[in-house]
Amino acid sequence: MNIYVLVKYVPDTEAIVKVASESELEIENKYFTSYFDEVAIEEALKLKEKFGGKVTVVTVDNKKIDALRRGIAMGADEAVQITDPGLEESDPFGIARALAAFLQKEPYDLILCGRQAMDDDAGVVGPATAELLGIPHASAILGLDVADDGKSARVDRQIEGGKEHIRCSLPALLTAQKGLNVPRIPQVMGMMKAMKADVRKVDLTELGVDPAMVGASGQKVRVLKYEPPPQRSSATMVEEDFPENVKHLVKLLQEEAKVL
Amino acid sequence: MAQGIWVFVEHADGAIRKVSLELLSAACGFAKKTNGTVGAVLFGTGMDSMVEQVTGYADRIYVVDDERLSPYTADGYTLALTHLAREDTPAILLAGSTSMGRDLFPRVAMRLETGLAPDCTGLEVADDGKLVATRPIYGGKVFCKVSIPDSYPQMATVRPNTFPLEEPNRSGERVQIDAPLQEIDIRQKVEGFDKAGQEKVDITEAEVVIGVGRGIKDPANFKAVKELADVLGATIGVTRAVVDNGWWDVNDQIGKSGKNISARLYFAFGLSGAIHHVLGIQTCKTVVAVNSDPNALIFNYADYGLVGDMTQVIPALKEHIAKAKGEV
Amino acid sequence: MALDFTFTDEQEFFRQTIRDTVDRLIVPRAQELDDTEEWPEDIWKEFASLGWLGLRHEEGYGGMNQPVVNQMIFYEELYRGSLGFAMAVTMQVLMGTYFIKRFANEEIKQRLLVPAIKGDKKCVICFTEDQSGSDLAGTRTLATKVDGGWQINGTKQWVTQGPLADVATVLCTVDPSQGLKALNFFLIEKKTEDRDGFLPGQILHKVGGRCAITGELVLDNVFVPEENLLGEELNKGVTYAGEILNEVRIMTGMSALAISKCALEDCREYANNRVAFGNPIGNYQLIREKFARCWAWYEAARTQCYKCAWMIDNPDNCRVTPRELLELCMAAKFHATELCVTTVEEAMRIYGGNSFCTEYPVQRYWKNAMYALFGGGTHEVMKDYLGRMYLRK
Repeated sequence: MNIYVLVKYVPDTEAIVKVASESELEIENKYFTSYFDEVAIEEALKLKEKFGGKVTVVTVDNKKIDALRRGIAMGADEAVQITDPGLEESDPFGIARALAAFLQKEPYDLILCGRQAMDDDAGVVGPATAELLGIPHASAILGLDVADDGKSARVDRQIEGGKEHIRCSLPALLTAQKGLNVPRIPQVMGMMKAMKADVRKVDLTELGVDPAMVGASGQKVRVLKYEPPPQRSSATMVEEDFPENVKHLVKLLQEEAKVL
Repeated sequence: MAQGIWVFVEHADGAIRKVSLELLSAACGFAKKTNGTVGAVLFGTGMDSMVEQVTGYADRIYVVDDERLSPYTADGYTLALTHLAREDTPAILLAGSTSMGRDLFPRVAMRLETGLAPDCTGLEVADDGKLVATRPIYGGKVFCKVSIPDSYPQMATVRPNTFPLEEPNRSGERVQIDAPLQEIDIRQKVEGFDKAGQEKVDITEAEVVIGVGRGIKDPANFKAVKELADVLGATIGVTRAVVDNGWWDVNDQIGKSGKNISARLYFAFGLSGAIHHVLGIQTCKTVVAVNSDPNALIFNYADYGLVGDMTQVIPALKEHIAKAKGEV
Repeated sequence: MALDFTFTDEQEFFRQTIRDTVDRLIVPRAQELDDTEEWPEDIWKEFASLGWLGLRHEEGYGGMNQPVVNQMIFYEELYRGSLGFAMAVTMQVLMGTYFIKRFANEEIKQRLLVPAIKGDKKCVICFTEDQSGSDLAGTRTLATKVDGGWQINGTKQWVTQGPLADVATVLCTVDPSQGLKALNFFLIEKKTEDRDGFLPGQILHKVGGRCAITGELVLDNVFVPEENLLGEELNKGVTYAGEILNEVRIMTGMSALAISKCALEDCREYANNRVAFGNPIGNYQLIREKFARCWAWYEAARTQCYKCAWMIDNPDNCRVTPRELLELCMAAKFHATELCVTTVEEAMRIYGGNSFCTEYPVQRYWKNAMYALFGGGTHEVMKDYLGRMYLRK
């Protein structure tokens, strides 16, 4: 199977991200491969182990290829960096255009990615790319079973109230949810390979993408301003001893907060 | 000329999902401001009772009654919704930030070549009739306000419990639509569904959530928690420590690697308030914390706090809340 | 345009890979590992299967042949987890296998080094005895020449992983009256039915890093064949020991830096959140002073240690004599460790009463930090030496 995994290098979940001003964020220099993307890489590797074939990791990033290196370290075969100054400030729809333009010329059987990137938390690139490629998609998958003939896959999706089982025809684009698998820890040999890996670079000209459709000029969604998370004023503490404090609390919830 | 505020309405087991009614309520509020109309979009089969449930919240109810739209598939719904949106050109198109909403709307937005603000915790309509959406990024460490400058429909998926449910006061006209579903091969086929445990509201949708942390000390103490949950009509969520101990299902884990909740009322029992958890609950309206440690961080993030032993406090709370609610 | 203080992209990737591995495999159990005297063979096996034990060995034996700077990056990340596990890994990667790789014949390398790199055989080094620690000349474990080999007698103390070891490199004297001039390394395996060897002795119960089992190795009239003398010449033990001394010292420095960093970052979160007298304690000058001082010294010590690591990798470019390099590495280790000891004490003060509670991690750093004071020689001995060397320049 020829599997492509879309990956993104994002600030670590432990990194400090603060609002510096309405238009600027201060982000600590601590990055990692978005966890859901690692789950996607792992799933691709498992499929390769079962069916044979090739895993290619793809990223859209003008600065860092560490997510690609992570993919190679885990066991991916090839890495592609889509990079072009014209891609700066693309919104997810612009990113999807660049990815689709690349993938459309590739012999993919399956495309995997994380259910959302852990920076913008949008979950748009996956389904939007599938739409541009004209292939079906399923998002937030918790289970994947590719049929032996490679023409369809049974997919489990987490939905409200339970799990849904779907049969999806291939090729398709599937986005991975946490719990689909546990990503392997890269072997040192893999890491060494990744450090020396040859990364194929692709730009907008090679992709044939109209620069007006990506980057800042291609934005469908514009950020107006950044805000810190809503602050709460300090808690009203009930001071009495037990059980008067419980009584008092309930009274407050009923009469003051009006939540009962 | 794009006009009208539409809500893509979700339903399950014969009932409209509460988030859809919340969004219809919000749409009615926006429509009053912009002098516009509210549209409700319903897909499925046997839609009569669904239509009745939304009729008070919309001016027009667009119904595509087709068995190929039951159950949900991304392909089928994308075709039907984009067909509808191209025919009747709404200005704004909303859906709940649910598993369906987040699966469907990005694809629809791409096909319609418009913008989408996903997983919003706030929404306003500006004077020019355009959306201004507030959404969390970086796991909730930062919030950003976004707009869709020049494309229609302006799309957004919105979290449950962002808008209050209002009283229905419109009377919608049912409009039967035929979507050209025969033109496509629907490439997803639902083969089955596993209900999660018993009938319970998912913690992301619940109005009232009880969060339980490591302070519960013994899984046997969950019995008292469940009784309190029953009285409150609450769903129980847990911290990672509880999941790691094997005391509760990972499906209900709140925070960082679990789920974000935006309940109307959230009780935090025996959890310290580590930053990961806090990020998962920060959009809850009222937070009540109970912890035996007076210095627990959770008190910095709560509206009300009580220092005490949760095993003692929970049964007492149950008793008093039941009395307050008029039940015995 | 020399003086490039950056790590390459590859080194950053290397760091991130080991950091993430440590975060996943070790950090979640770090407290338990350091408190409980139980060796985690499961984590060891998994860690070994990833290939990290081959860090400094040649690719031919299954190793990675990494430069010293990268090895130090490895230690800096490794020691953020459990001290005990890190000590065991270091013993295996560095001291326990170095002399085998350096001097043993091919047959021994295939039989012992290859499985060691896979984690299947545990290798240790033995220096300390009852009456000799920093003072190597006090070594009393005796190697007597006999027909076909050597007879070894003595007891070695403070052997990290000794009780679990399969293979030991043991420092012995052939003539106690000759002090440093009679020291030699011998390869001794664990006693089995078909082979003479060492026996594990008493276990030494440590204050911290307890998952590494530290104890005695007893050598009771152990016969080893001639090829087990590790060295090209007799009585060059001290010279040979010097070959890894710089690395051992910088490695100890990195461990101290790792503990310091953990302590500082934990304290930062604590100071930002802990409220006293109406303010987070981080608002108070005396608390801030602790951070300012410890952080500034941390940055200095870190640069100093990496500079030494670079010099070890670049002996021709670095323009210092081997003697000078030795002194600089000693100074780097001394600085990083003293800084760490100060930092963890300040960390305890920042946490106040909570520092004394095992629910909080700071007490573990405080306990763990102390080990670095003695590894590779006590600071009292080192300071006397360094001072004397400086005065002579």
